[in-house]
Amino acid sequence: MDEVMWVEVLSRQHDVTLRQRFANHDLITIGRAYDNDIVLDDAHVAAHHLRLTRDADGRWTAEDLGSINGLYLDGDRKRREHVVLDGSTTLHVGNTFLRLRTATHDVPAELPLVRSFPRWPIALICIALVFALALLDLWRAETAEPKLIRYLTPVLVLAAVIAVWTFVWSVLSRILSGHARFGTHLLIIGAGLLLYTAYDEFSELGSFALSWTALSRYVFVGAWLAFAAVCFAHLRALGASHLAIKAVAALALAALGITVQSLKLSEWRANYGQASTLQRLEPPSIRIAGAQSQAAFFTNIADLKGALDKARSEEPSGDAAADGSED
Amino acid sequence: MTDHSIGCTSRFATALAGLLVAGLLQAQALQPQPQPPAASDAAGAVPVPVSAAAEGIYAATRPSLLQIRTLVEAAGRQSSIGSGFLVSADGLAITNYHVVSQYALEPKTYRLEFARPDGTQGALTLLAIDIANDVAVVKLEGSDLPHLQFDPAAVAGDLPRGERVYAMGNPLDLGFTIVEGTYNGLVERSYNERVHFTGAINPGMSGGPAVTSGDKVVGINVAKRLDGELVSFLVPARHAAALLARARKDAPLDLAQARDEIDRQLLAWQAGFYQALDEKGFRATKFGPYQAPESASSWFNCWARTNAEQTPKPRAQMDSSSCNSQSSLFIAEDIDSGRAELTHAYVRSTDLNAFQFAAFLSQYYGSPTMARSWSRKRQTEPVCHEDFVAPMDAATAPVLRAVWCARAYRDFAGLYDIAVTTVTQDRDKEALVSRLAMQGVSYDNALALAKRFMGAVAWTK
Repeated sequence: MDEVMWVEVLSRQHDVTLRQRFANHDLITIGRAYDNDIVLDDAHVAAHHLRLTRDADGRWTAEDLGSINGLYLDGDRKRREHVVLDGSTTLHVGNTFLRLRTATHDVPAELPLVRSFPRWPIALICIALVFALALLDLWRAETAEPKLIRYLTPVLVLAAVIAVWTFVWSVLSRILSGHARFGTHLLIIGAGLLLYTAYDEFSELGSFALSWTALSRYVFVGAWLAFAAVCFAHLRALGASHLAIKAVAALALAALGITVQSLKLSEWRANYGQASTLQRLEPPSIRIAGAQSQAAFFTNIADLKGALDKARSEEPSGDAAADGSED
Repeated sequence: MTDHSIGCTSRFATALAGLLVAGLLQAQALQPQPQPPAASDAAGAVPVPVSAAAEGIYAATRPSLLQIRTLVEAAGRQSSIGSGFLVSADGLAITNYHVVSQYALEPKTYRLEFARPDGTQGALTLLAIDIANDVAVVKLEGSDLPHLQFDPAAVAGDLPRGERVYAMGNPLDLGFTIVEGTYNGLVERSYNERVHFTGAINPGMSGGPAVTSGDKVVGINVAKRLDGELVSFLVPARHAAALLARARKDAPLDLAQARDEIDRQLLAWQAGFYQALDEKGFRATKFGPYQAPESASSWFNCWARTNAEQTPKPRAQMDSSSCNSQSSLFIAEDIDSGRAELTHAYVRSTDLNAFQFAAFLSQYYGSPTMARSWSRKRQTEPVCHEDFVAPMDAATAPVLRAVWCARAYRDFAGLYDIAVTTVTQDRDKEALVSRLAMQGVSYDNALALAKRFMGAVAWTK
């Protein structure tokens, strides 16, 4: 009988680091000593740690040879003396994972090769649009003498940030997944920035045009969500595993950012007694919202009295000694 | 202050601040450390040589003077000083409210003490206060005390301008002093009656009497302008006489209820002020294609500003007019009340496009700094409402963008600081930004005035 077996030694990340072929073997020994069939360089593996034997029915069994650290199944905390192996069992000895596969082991079907379109041209278009919007925004708020440096500095800073950000993710990508994916990471940050910039512009214009101040007041919430989405997209580009954990991490980041910023804002308001109102007026011609009648406006402001009288009876929040600054 | 132009103009703000710190704040700052000799010489110098008349007056008046000290109860040390004077043989005395304000507001933390020129000292009780006129009546134990009389002509209000008047008090804790000066009648642009006294009043003299050559009291030293020379103010004697009569008749002020009393007086004052303002009416002033209301009363001090002469040449021209009522009322060091401010700024683009022009206007919009300081101990956080507001008559007035911000006084029910700002919304490169700010006003009075104010912003006919 001509039976071929493969023993695979896996890294902690379950990548195959060693694959060894055995033909017509009934016994395979594994350990740190050089008289084994498979020698493992793992300080937590015994000199003679495991013996794999085949019984008359052709079933393989792994047997602990009395090691200190024992034999486990991958993902299981129960120590075993014997394990009957099928094609999918992964053993755990010391810090090493092992797998025994027969020649008949099924492999998944061939994946068609996707000729992925190059990412960087789209990324560059996105980034160009981001710069265009940023410059437009600067120009829109330009009330003093226009100076080139006021436009140049933010552009250079933004370019540097994009470059460093993409570089860091590419390096991480290269380390963790083997591919730098520079184009993908550039596209992620480019598209993310474009969406955020467009959203920011829309909030500012919208809060005036629709007379809906909350839109610009809470723009930071959207900013943090966009940041979390970008981080999630980068993490996904590193590898498609553990997507749920990555999503949760990104959301946690957003939640943390939003919480911290809300607290800082309310603290700032409590310290300086500044109310938040519309920060930027826009030309009257972009107004969409209808104008309130004076009567309605005065009814609305008369209603504020209740909130003020309620606040009056409450103790001042926080540190009463930290009063607002004098002018 | 971020809204540098159409808020209160800086020039006026300095002057007003001066009014407030005189007496209390500086005195307080100066007390703990010994005076450097130079400052001491300057402060002690009397501007006019003391005449023989002054010598006589000083000798006659001196025994009736008091130095009034506010002491921190726990430390037993003075935290502020002022002056006062006896007005009855049984120990009633007049001083400024601001001299005793710490004690009136925090009677558990502070106590009042007097020191007479002969060196006797003792405790003072606070009998009555008048916030609007900054007067207080205090009492010390004693009988057959020397005291001063009010001048009947001054009480009746017909003392001639130019009359020699002598202000007395204990400036900067240096000792009792007499200062010769001139009576200049009532300040013209002031809702609160104040006598303009040309003479040097210094911190520590607050609450002291200003007397005629006949030793009769015509006023009480109260403040000075920091931006002028020898421009000082007295509370007219009639207000002190009125409060004295009230103190004799009514039960003494219950210190536990002092805040309620202040609240009541502030409410009554603002009711009178805003009613008077309403009665005087408003006149429409032209600003480019717009007209906007300005008070027809004489109690406002108005300043115009323009950015036309700035370099580099501004890309939008702003011409503003800012009117400030000189009616600030001292409540405590960290809070005052009573001021009203009306500002209009006409802005037009010379070189800015519609978006840039709107961005330029934004600096005058937003949460206005209604008073120059905000204390979270004294005031709630402001709440605002903003929206586009349609005119009553679309044929005569533009749509406005309006923001209303209000905050409540924590200690004084029914009083608020309120500001309303409007920006006209009919042109892309031209606008009128108007602001009405009211300090220590009732909500209803603020609403009524704001209604009148917003209704009067229109196109010129």
